[in-house]
Amino acid sequence: MIKLFYVTDIHGSNVCYRKFLNALPIYGADVAVLNGDLLGKVLIPMVEKAGGGWECHLMGMYTEMNTEQELADVKKIIENAGYYWVHQTRDEFEATKADPKEIDRLFKHAAYERIQQWLELADERLEGKSCQVYICPGNDDWWEVDDMISCMKIVKPCDNLVVDIDGHEMVSCSRSNPTPWDTPREESEEELAAHLDELCGRVKNYEGAIFNFHVPPHGYSLDLCPKLDKDMKMSAEEKIHAGSLGAKQVIEKYQPLLGLHGHIHESRGAQKAGRTLMINPGSEYSEGILKGVIVMLDKKKVKDYVFTQG
Amino acid sequence: MMDAFAVGFMNQGLTPSIWVVVSLGLGVFLGGNLIYAAIISAVFAGIGFPLVWGILGGSMPRSGGEYVYNSRIIHPIYGIAQSFGDAAIWLMWLYVLAPLAVDPGLTMTFNYLGWTGAANWLTDASWHTFIMASIFNVVGFLFVVFGIKIFARVQKIVMFFGIGGCLLIGIVLTITSRASFMSKWNTAAAANHGPTYHAFVNQVGVAAGQVMPTHTNWGATFGTMVAMSWLFAYAYSIAFIAGEVKRPDKSIIWANTFAIAVPFVFMLWIAIVLYKTVGFQFLNATAWNDNNGNTLASMAHMPHGTNFIDLAVYSLGSSAAWARILAALMGLSYVAFTVWWLALSYLAFPRILFAWGMDRMGPKWFTDINPRFASPVKNHILCLVLGQSLLILYYAALHNQMQNILLTGMQVTSVFIPTAIAALWFPYSKRAKGVWDSSPYKKWTFLGLPVVVWGAAVDLVYLGILFYYFAFNAAAKQFTGPGLILFVGVWVLGVIWYFSWSAYNKAKSGMDISAVTYGELPPE
Repeated sequence: MIKLFYVTDIHGSNVCYRKFLNALPIYGADVAVLNGDLLGKVLIPMVEKAGGGWECHLMGMYTEMNTEQELADVKKIIENAGYYWVHQTRDEFEATKADPKEIDRLFKHAAYERIQQWLELADERLEGKSCQVYICPGNDDWWEVDDMISCMKIVKPCDNLVVDIDGHEMVSCSRSNPTPWDTPREESEEELAAHLDELCGRVKNYEGAIFNFHVPPHGYSLDLCPKLDKDMKMSAEEKIHAGSLGAKQVIEKYQPLLGLHGHIHESRGAQKAGRTLMINPGSEYSEGILKGVIVMLDKKKVKDYVFTQG
Repeated sequence: MMDAFAVGFMNQGLTPSIWVVVSLGLGVFLGGNLIYAAIISAVFAGIGFPLVWGILGGSMPRSGGEYVYNSRIIHPIYGIAQSFGDAAIWLMWLYVLAPLAVDPGLTMTFNYLGWTGAANWLTDASWHTFIMASIFNVVGFLFVVFGIKIFARVQKIVMFFGIGGCLLIGIVLTITSRASFMSKWNTAAAANHGPTYHAFVNQVGVAAGQVMPTHTNWGATFGTMVAMSWLFAYAYSIAFIAGEVKRPDKSIIWANTFAIAVPFVFMLWIAIVLYKTVGFQFLNATAWNDNNGNTLASMAHMPHGTNFIDLAVYSLGSSAAWARILAALMGLSYVAFTVWWLALSYLAFPRILFAWGMDRMGPKWFTDINPRFASPVKNHILCLVLGQSLLILYYAALHNQMQNILLTGMQVTSVFIPTAIAALWFPYSKRAKGVWDSSPYKKWTFLGLPVVVWGAAVDLVYLGILFYYFAFNAAAKQFTGPGLILFVGVWVLGVIWYFSWSAYNKAKSGMDISAVTYGELPPE
């Protein structure tokens, strides 16, 4: 039996990433998969004040920092929530506000720096440990992230690959069907279905296979999210299925042992599709809570699974 | 926000709760002043409850109620034990409330319409009442099982009728003068061989063995606050959908606040106009009479009883069609809120099981979400089966045991006090340090202490008053016999449940599940 620890959608949260690494020995995981989305969504300018100190807007609140300690404390809050920060003078801040390209550059710089730090920390902490760790991006992650993962010593990439996990073939896909946010790895349903079918066609033994798709299959309980109105506001009372029809097709067609999914943070749960157990552990990264699932796998069956949080 | 408010407000059960306040509260604690009690309750509950439940819900916005907070802040055993009590309470409300929706709810409404035959049929055999209560039970289930969208839409309609009927009661009592009320009462008495206004007060005094009070008794005023908790303490139901509201950091706390403020306005208004229109002493007499089953012999032929809705109907002073319709709308308000309470049990109980299931404190199917309705349908069905079984048991065996005030007492000891303690401890809990550190309320302080601590302290003072009266006061004492067994029993069952599932999980997966589901991971 192997113990697989699966986490998804930590979106740049430093504390969640560190908890993920720390959880491996605590949970006794043989294999760990950190699924995307890895990148955060917010860059916060920390602007120098005229009389000394810094100021920023954090979670809708104006925040002042007058000492280095206060600055460090706020940076930590920002990093733990999955946000990025950048130091700026007032002039730099004003100039950047009117320059979307510069904002994009600063954001990518901060985001890649965070990923690089994470990967180096993993190599440092996991050296000499027996746990295999795979990282797969999600639809929010730019393609450059793949190159960064593939350069690492211990952490292994798995996107678009079939990898062997103690006799279980795991096939992974970071792409998603279209979303309202126009993210980097979106494809039309037709393209995604074709891509997934080609990818899953490489698997030799479906009986023990694991389909690690960032998007959950459409129409099950793992892809329910609030409906958005035309102003992109969430409905509190109406939920829709936002998963992928392509993912649904290949899971129902090939019937792997296990489906691991993320993408829809609020749809933490597990459901069966034929013989396939599909799991979405959900995400509460912005609260600093690491949600995950431990799956105990025998050769041809899922012995048990436990949702985790810490 | 609107839907969260509605879930909280509807669980305060405006019209039936005012009934409980007047008939049960005043009927037991003669001389209590409803105006003072409402103001004191609103100040304590209005500060304490939104801060406790709003801050905990906004910091841990997950559906499942206070189990989530208590298990994370204090300890999983504490969370399961108190939550077991709460789950039992939500189930028990089904068999307590479904019969109330029938009698007095429907019987009163039918009588107001002049359909006395139908009203009598409902109560002339217990199986008649049972059938109608079962129908209400199933209707409550159907309102919820098809998902939150349908629930929210029906809730708006029910709320419209509920508030509308209560508004009518208030308006009628407001525009009726004391002289007019006395005249209409005396006219009805003359036509139905009933007691006059003054004779009624005297006769109740004889039956009660004491002269009906003419002025405020402060001890009794605090006593009426136990019954008044029905109007102010139940917006906590919002916690069961905390994971399903938008902007939980703001919505939950504000929804709690408004769900207390609106009932307060109604209670204050109704209390003022009741004293103005029917008089202090007469109101005490009506409360005692109603709380003691309206058994005064001289009232046998009067057209209505003496609850506060009846008093508004007497104030109409007419049996014309318009008056019958207005009266029926007032009665329907009682039915609407009571039936919605059943629906709210079906909202809460399945979500408690869902939260347990997520922590592997129950079978895996507790966490199954129906993909079509986006709701835990299996848990809903379990709730229906258990609720209906309890209803059968209630009619077959229990009947007068374990009712209203007992459940309120159990809610105080199993839900409100344990959760207030968790809120008090939240900023200092090592177990929940990560949650507190990322809480949007971490920086809310007052006089150097976190606001949640102040909220919990105010809440505990309020709950302390309720606890004293319901536990030790001779009139409402519940710490005897079945009550005590029930209070302790559900906690013991909860602890057994926790250890049973822990052992089962360990045997099945070889892991200490508690460490995995509740444990804190090193953040550095």
